[in-house]
Amino acid sequence: MKIKQLTMAAIGAIFLAVPLAQAKDLDIVVWANADKNERYRFEAVKLAANVLNEELKIEGRDINVTVSAQSYVGSQAWAQLKQGFSLAVEAGKGPHIIVGGHEDIPVWGSAGLILPIEDYVDLEAWPFSDVFDSLWPIMSWNGQVWGVPQDAESRPFFGWNPHLKAIGYSDADIQALPAKIKSGAYTLQNVLEDAKKIQDKGLVEKGYGFYPRATKGGDYWQFYAAQKGGDMYDAESGKLILDQAALLGYYQFFNDAVFKYGVTKKNHLGMNWDQWYNEVANGKAGLWHGGTWHYARYTRKEGLTDFFDKVMFSLIPAAGSGGKATTLTHPLTYLISKQAEGDELEMAARLLTIVSEPRLNTLHAIASAHLGITNAQTKVSQYSDDRWTAEATALLQSAFALPNSVDFGQYDALVWKGLTAAWSGDLTPEKAVETVVAEIKATMADKVIVR
Amino acid sequence: MRRLRSFLPLWFMLPASVIVTLFFVIPVFMTFAFSFTTMSSDTGVLGNRYIVSEATLLKLKELNIDPVLVASLGEIRFVFDDTNLKNISQLNLKPSLLKEINTKLKNKVFATEKKLYAALKTLKNRPRSFKDRKAISKATVSSMMNKEFLTADEFSQGLVSVGINLDAPAFNQLLELTNTSWHWTTDNYAELMASDFTLKILGNTLFYVFCTLFFNVGFALLLALATFYMPSGQSKIFRALWLIPRISPSVIYVLLWKWFTFDSGFMSHFLSSFGFTPQDWLKEFPWVFVILANGFVGASMGMLIFSSAIVAIPGDVLRAAEVDGAYPLQQIRRIILPLLAWPILFVTSYQTLSLLTSFEYILLLTDGGPGFFTTETWALNAYHTALSNYFGNLRYGFGATLAVVLVVVGIILSLLYLRLFDFKKLVTEPQIET
Repeated sequence: MKIKQLTMAAIGAIFLAVPLAQAKDLDIVVWANADKNERYRFEAVKLAANVLNEELKIEGRDINVTVSAQSYVGSQAWAQLKQGFSLAVEAGKGPHIIVGGHEDIPVWGSAGLILPIEDYVDLEAWPFSDVFDSLWPIMSWNGQVWGVPQDAESRPFFGWNPHLKAIGYSDADIQALPAKIKSGAYTLQNVLEDAKKIQDKGLVEKGYGFYPRATKGGDYWQFYAAQKGGDMYDAESGKLILDQAALLGYYQFFNDAVFKYGVTKKNHLGMNWDQWYNEVANGKAGLWHGGTWHYARYTRKEGLTDFFDKVMFSLIPAAGSGGKATTLTHPLTYLISKQAEGDELEMAARLLTIVSEPRLNTLHAIASAHLGITNAQTKVSQYSDDRWTAEATALLQSAFALPNSVDFGQYDALVWKGLTAAWSGDLTPEKAVETVVAEIKATMADKVIVR
Repeated sequence: MRRLRSFLPLWFMLPASVIVTLFFVIPVFMTFAFSFTTMSSDTGVLGNRYIVSEATLLKLKELNIDPVLVASLGEIRFVFDDTNLKNISQLNLKPSLLKEINTKLKNKVFATEKKLYAALKTLKNRPRSFKDRKAISKATVSSMMNKEFLTADEFSQGLVSVGINLDAPAFNQLLELTNTSWHWTTDNYAELMASDFTLKILGNTLFYVFCTLFFNVGFALLLALATFYMPSGQSKIFRALWLIPRISPSVIYVLLWKWFTFDSGFMSHFLSSFGFTPQDWLKEFPWVFVILANGFVGASMGMLIFSSAIVAIPGDVLRAAEVDGAYPLQQIRRIILPLLAWPILFVTSYQTLSLLTSFEYILLLTDGGPGFFTTETWALNAYHTALSNYFGNLRYGFGATLAVVLVVVGIILSLLYLRLFDFKKLVTEPQIET
């Protein structure tokens, strides 16, 4: 009797399950470099899938979209993500969507690992029609738009207000400082001088006057771009530019910071990020530079609740006459890999359209203290009510982006080597420039214009 | 001694041969082949792709290629001729739209996609979805721009379809310039010779291998000899303790070194009581810690091999020496060390080769820094070049070139060691039966 009942129940269950199982399950895989604050890089795609599934139901299409995410965290995360993506897609095991840096577009586009997004989403329609105009050139390479912006950001220069006051700045001076920096009246030279004053007063320890980013990063190009003639890309020939005078100014600045002024540690590079965040958020450093997203870390994990009273932020100061105050914006971008085909490709593209909606993108902007991507977003209350995003968005006007060039990775690695040499004192700044230029001429002669 | 006269032993060696072939011989040959290519992230690993893009046009202009050809390659038109209308009819569009296109757009030509879309918008039954608009655009476009061709034949047909006819040399030149995939080259070796960094990294590598090897083998011998003369219980504990570096996961092992050396770590704390300012000792003396960390790991293996070799020395010999009044130091010099020649050769050559090629402890400790290639060794540089670039452009071809140099150096060193330690003499059968 019991067996009979069970059998009937099982048959019933199978019949009930059959119509459910008919909907075609499509799992869209997303890879991203995202720590806890940046989880909406993929969480928002999951939310978008809910909307997409409802849309598909209305259209009467039997497709159920799910999103699986793999996030990379830690100091090696970018390298791992990029290496992993290159090799995985070649082997046919890559994700459908990857959140990359915009500089990945030329490399992966050239290798055929990603698809130009302009062929799969309508950039003339909402919400892409409302994306900040300045972001599209950064998403483009070789005459095509390859990705949609995931976020925007800028990389400000910071100062610890109590220390600035202690060396003679009044409240009004501090308030006027960002404008003074923007106009070019306060230069990188002043940064070193003020850092020295802060250090000499005993407000911070030796080597903490000017406290740069803890590890390698695109941020350091700001000190090249702030120099007179600090250009990186020649659009006419499509080649990279290396300006020797600007390069020397860039190397000299860090060499002076370490050896002439003693306001930066010789062994600073490669230090622990946790220690770094903790120190700058607690007034252990005088002046420093970071990213808009640092705000989230300072005010949450590091407990700096009165950020706006304690910290001044502005563009990176210009390097003397002829230089310009600047900041780097490094928007991340949602890219579709060639792994996506047929329905997967269509669904991936639709997910990216939904995820770019102002309200969904704002989740990431506020949670991670990045900047938004659309005009409408600045009117979403969660965004506009947030003082940080509202004020920091203004820096974007003076921002530059790294060039989208296939050769950028190799060029950057060489220029970085020169910086580490000038910073550690292994080579003089002049000798470092000479070495880098010689190496570029020897190995990248047809790809870089040295001037 | 009677030797077996059959091929049976060869069959026993088959699994090993297969493994050696799969995991050593083939990779070495492949690395050698890759070292003659321009393979990198942007060329991809797989076959040819021919694309005419903005970058191609710039390159063609720079090479002073016929401007008329360049202009026609860059031209984009959307043409509603009979062939394309037929293509559109296969697109699964609404019949009313198809009809309207056939009547209103026939034989029209549009210069940009925007103009095409504007024209489509004027239709009564206009395509509402982006997907349909894009499909019409793809079906009518007549251009070489940004189209992917996987074979030379397809590329040639593509050229013909947009009205470009080239003779063989011009076609081949264009084919090569539009190929985004890798090609064969000897430039990697030329670059290696031209680069100023090569010598610096080579010097680092020699320094690292020599110092670590010296520490490694010397310390292993010391441990083996010391534990040999200890009471057996104590020596076992001692040997087990020295195995810890070898068996701990490298990340944890390195983390301990970092904690030990950083500015508020144990070493700074300890030395501050002697008046030293706390500092990041690892960054101050990177080589010392790179050599120590690697040396301790390597020493444990040498210790095990030497210990067992010493135990295998017939007891009579040592006892006879003792009877003759030889001190332990004399026993070591006259008996143990000469009999250890074979294990020392083995450990030295094995460690040389493994130090030449292994880099994970340096990667985790200093990543080749601090400063200018301070602790960058050859193998680490190969890794950095081929598999780790901050902005993601990995140079597989040049990385393979660096690896080939390591293989060559490894083989030369192995031959040198065999010569130096007189391998033939070591493997001759003993003259006296023991």
